[in-house]
Amino acid sequence: MAQLLAAIILLPLIGGVFNACFGSRLPRPVPAILASGAVIGSFLACLGMLPEAAEGARTTLFTWLNSGGFRADVGLLFDPLSSSMALMVTGVASLIHLYAAGYMEEDEDQVRFFALLNLFVFAMLMIVLADNLLLMFLGWEGVGFCSYGLIGFWYRKSENADAGRKAFIVTRIGDLFFTIAVLWLFALLGTIGIEEINSRVLEIDPTVVTIISLLLLGGACGKSAQLPLMSWLPDAMAGPTPVSALIHAATMVTAGVYLLCRLFPLVSLSPIAMGAIALVGALTALYAATSALCQREIKRVLAFSTMSQVGYMFMAVGVGSVSAAMFHLLTHAFFKALLFMGAGCLIHLAGHENDIFEMGGMRKFSKPVFWLFMAGLFCLAGAPLTGGFFSKDLILATAYAHGDSFHLAIYGLGVLTALLTSFYSFRLAYLVFAGDYRGEAHPHSLPKLMVWTLPLLALFGLGAGLFNLPHLFGGHSWLSGWFGRENDILHLSLQTEYQLIATAVGVFVIGWLIAHFRYRTYSGPEYNRASEFLLSAWYVDALYDRLLVRPFDLFCRFCWQGGEMGVINGVLDGLASGSQGWSRSLRALSDGKIPRYLQGFAWGFLLIVGWFLLKAVAK
Amino acid sequence: MIAGSSTQFPLLSLLLWLPLAGVLLCLLLRKSANACRWAALLFNVVLLGIALWIAFSVDTGSSGWLLYEDYSWIERFGIRYTLGLDGISLLLVILTAFLQVIAVLISWQIDYHPAFFYALVLMLGTAVLGVFLALDLVLFYLFWELMLIPMFVLIGVWGQQRRVYAAVKFFFFTLSGSLLMLLAMISLYLLHGDQTGVYTFALDALKQTELSLTQELIFYICFMSAFAVKVPLFPFHAWLPDAHEQAPAAGSVDLAGLVLKTGVYGIIRFAFPLFPNAAEMSLPVLALLALIGLFYAAAIAFKQTNIKRLVAYSSVSHLGFVILGLAAWNQTAWEGSLLLMVNHGITSAALFVMLALVRQRTGSNDLANMGGLWQSQPKMSAFFLLFAMASLGLPGLANFAGEILILIGTFASKPVWASIAVIGVLLSATYMLRLVQGVIWGPCREPMKKEDLLPREWLLLIPLALLVVWLGCYPQPLLDPIREPVTALLQGGRP
Repeated sequence: MAQLLAAIILLPLIGGVFNACFGSRLPRPVPAILASGAVIGSFLACLGMLPEAAEGARTTLFTWLNSGGFRADVGLLFDPLSSSMALMVTGVASLIHLYAAGYMEEDEDQVRFFALLNLFVFAMLMIVLADNLLLMFLGWEGVGFCSYGLIGFWYRKSENADAGRKAFIVTRIGDLFFTIAVLWLFALLGTIGIEEINSRVLEIDPTVVTIISLLLLGGACGKSAQLPLMSWLPDAMAGPTPVSALIHAATMVTAGVYLLCRLFPLVSLSPIAMGAIALVGALTALYAATSALCQREIKRVLAFSTMSQVGYMFMAVGVGSVSAAMFHLLTHAFFKALLFMGAGCLIHLAGHENDIFEMGGMRKFSKPVFWLFMAGLFCLAGAPLTGGFFSKDLILATAYAHGDSFHLAIYGLGVLTALLTSFYSFRLAYLVFAGDYRGEAHPHSLPKLMVWTLPLLALFGLGAGLFNLPHLFGGHSWLSGWFGRENDILHLSLQTEYQLIATAVGVFVIGWLIAHFRYRTYSGPEYNRASEFLLSAWYVDALYDRLLVRPFDLFCRFCWQGGEMGVINGVLDGLASGSQGWSRSLRALSDGKIPRYLQGFAWGFLLIVGWFLLKAVAK
Repeated sequence: MIAGSSTQFPLLSLLLWLPLAGVLLCLLLRKSANACRWAALLFNVVLLGIALWIAFSVDTGSSGWLLYEDYSWIERFGIRYTLGLDGISLLLVILTAFLQVIAVLISWQIDYHPAFFYALVLMLGTAVLGVFLALDLVLFYLFWELMLIPMFVLIGVWGQQRRVYAAVKFFFFTLSGSLLMLLAMISLYLLHGDQTGVYTFALDALKQTELSLTQELIFYICFMSAFAVKVPLFPFHAWLPDAHEQAPAAGSVDLAGLVLKTGVYGIIRFAFPLFPNAAEMSLPVLALLALIGLFYAAAIAFKQTNIKRLVAYSSVSHLGFVILGLAAWNQTAWEGSLLLMVNHGITSAALFVMLALVRQRTGSNDLANMGGLWQSQPKMSAFFLLFAMASLGLPGLANFAGEILILIGTFASKPVWASIAVIGVLLSATYMLRLVQGVIWGPCREPMKKEDLLPREWLLLIPLALLVVWLGCYPQPLLDPIREPVTALLQGGRP
């Protein structure tokens, strides 16, 4: 069993390293096949391990670092939480790899793409399965690197490479907090093992728990693109679409949520931290939803929707429900991967056009893509009985169930966001599919692999509600039980439940109706100050540029021009030229002219005689 | 304390003088450039072989000297020829031998007086090995100053346009520091002799000298001025960027990989044990300078357009990390510092090798003339990316292993220092990604004629790449041999 567990992470690693080293010597489809095979193998290994998960399977491969009292093993932990995440990651990644095999068919740099994609899956699984925080950090930084390499995959355009760099650096700001949290936990408990930390949290002083939890939140915010470290995600859409689907929708951006769930026993001890998590989630959800309202690029709409949905997950953690967070994480992974891959198909069909104002009438281009994409949008908008409906509803209901004004405010923000979500989802739908085609491109044909991989995701997206069907709908909240979090199951009065569901449905319908009347017929792009503001995502990039980027640049220039060139080298060169000046004047004394020497001799003689005379007089 | 005896085969002396024999051979063969090349390579490979053989044949877990040689030399002044090898010096000796092989391979195409060039590289090898092995202060000082000469000539003769300026700056900077050390050494020798009647330069004996705190502080500052310049610790670093910018590739490899390490080695082997009280008092100052250097150099690196200067400043920043670990004064932090020393030696050498290869293709060191390398040289760019990631501290690659141990150790005693240092890790990403961005991504500046990697270049890069990965994933074989020596130094250092 230990071998099988190790195989889950080793297969993508071997696939990635092999492709990186030898892929370029293999004929065209082989690297793609190898990469997909590795991930599918990893998925099968996950399935094979599933019976062990309830008990929790563990294995240690070797000791990574061992020094003084510090020890970090390469150890894996396969428990209910990590197994469900691992299954999702490998499952979605398998489908996306197959999709990518079609999508990247023509690209000459295929090998680099698949090597990085496989390495990404490896690193992501490291986050999921690591049994200690340092190993998790290895995965954490590893996905950051792969994301960097894949966002800037088409590096010939400098903007793409810049977007990759922005993602790397902004997420690294979050990592800084994560690192400090890990250091602190080790200093307090003498261990970095996740299970051990979770079982010994009560030994830590409550104030310190709060600070550490907030540090972890900072780390999670970076990776999961939450306020205030969210600005990298929309730019990350510069990467190829399968990358957006896998990394920037389904898996990596949810790593922050997973981290908080993994250390939930620690985080949940601090009411302040929990409140902060919920608030960050709710505010991000709202911010991103508003920013999505006026976007023109299909992938940017989806990027903001991802940010917004991940905000819901944070909200779920903050209101104390791990199962709601993981439930939404899983359903979101399916329908958002579906949406991105569908968007990839649409962009392809429209002749690589990204702008939804240049689309329209696209339901005629490909019926299957239309229906599959609509399935994704219904899940996103929270159409009743879809997976997205149940998972979002559980989060809102949990917030509502707390009853106090803070949580009611969170609930209110959540409902408002749901309204906006429904609106922008259908805005997207109408602009893309309704009316007549506005673009110029002739429809391209789609590689079969790109379409065939979608139905399965649609099925899971629509049907994911079955995993955690509440009692009201005749289910048994299976997922909550699987995570061993029966406490998360709500016991609300029937009346309240119906009210909540009615609100959710109402919000969905209202959003749809507004979008229907506004965008049913295309009336041309409109520009005003409000839409400009939302299109640029509240001018956050400009703000950060003023607040952070330029001051940093100024600081660096100050150190370079002022400190290094001015002071340090200035002093040194001053010393050098000073001593040169001295030596020049000294050299002038020994210029070989006898009269000067004689003069010197005379003066010296006089001085000595004078001194002796003075001494004699003094006596 | 003494495990080996002087009656055994003098393995350490063989190690030490082998490169010098290579120097003689190179000078004899100076008519044929090719013969010199191969001779230099052969000697360094043999050196590496012997060093590795020692590593596998001695029991590295034992305490005390693994190998020891002691002969009388200048009896009149109590100067002895004492060499000792423990786990720490063992690692550094292997690093030296390995990087010397790299240095010869990267300068395979030198055609301006090749014999002298390779002779100087070999001579530098002897000097650095001597520093890592000598246990007699005079012997140590001889090798310490011997390092100056080959490096000075390498920069001054085979360097770029402003080579003379850089060479002179390097020479005076380092010399002024080490002259103070010489003064302190002689004073210490006299004091010890007056106290005990035994005039000796042996490190172990001098450790026992009774000194007032003022004396200790003065001597300590003198020693540290020599070491801090070499490390280089802020604000004594100004020679390094110029030296790197102007030095030929082999010079940069040896400078970053070896010469800087001699400074750190001097601190832990001589300055700390000889003057433990002064050392203890100085730790906050050291930490402060290290932290300032960490940030300051990173900020400057971010503004560089010359790629060699950029990497040079990154070295200053990383060495700040090493010194911070030493200042934390505990087992984990010290092991981390030593590990980072070795790992930084390998990654920075690898980066300088890359920069040399880039220069051979683009004919420039300026970021403005680069970009889009991946298009024409994908394999080379992949190596570049790997080494850059190692340098910015990506977990699983070399530098991270050392950095995280330093952070953990430092956090245990000084959480604020460690937390500030974590920000330094972030800064290393800003300048490294700028380098990567400028060199391998972006539009291709001009079509490059030269083909991707040559066989010789593969030979250079593969070992470096394997080491970078291995040391990042499984650094345990390096940590095991330094455990005992570090414990001993920590106990011997502070009373």
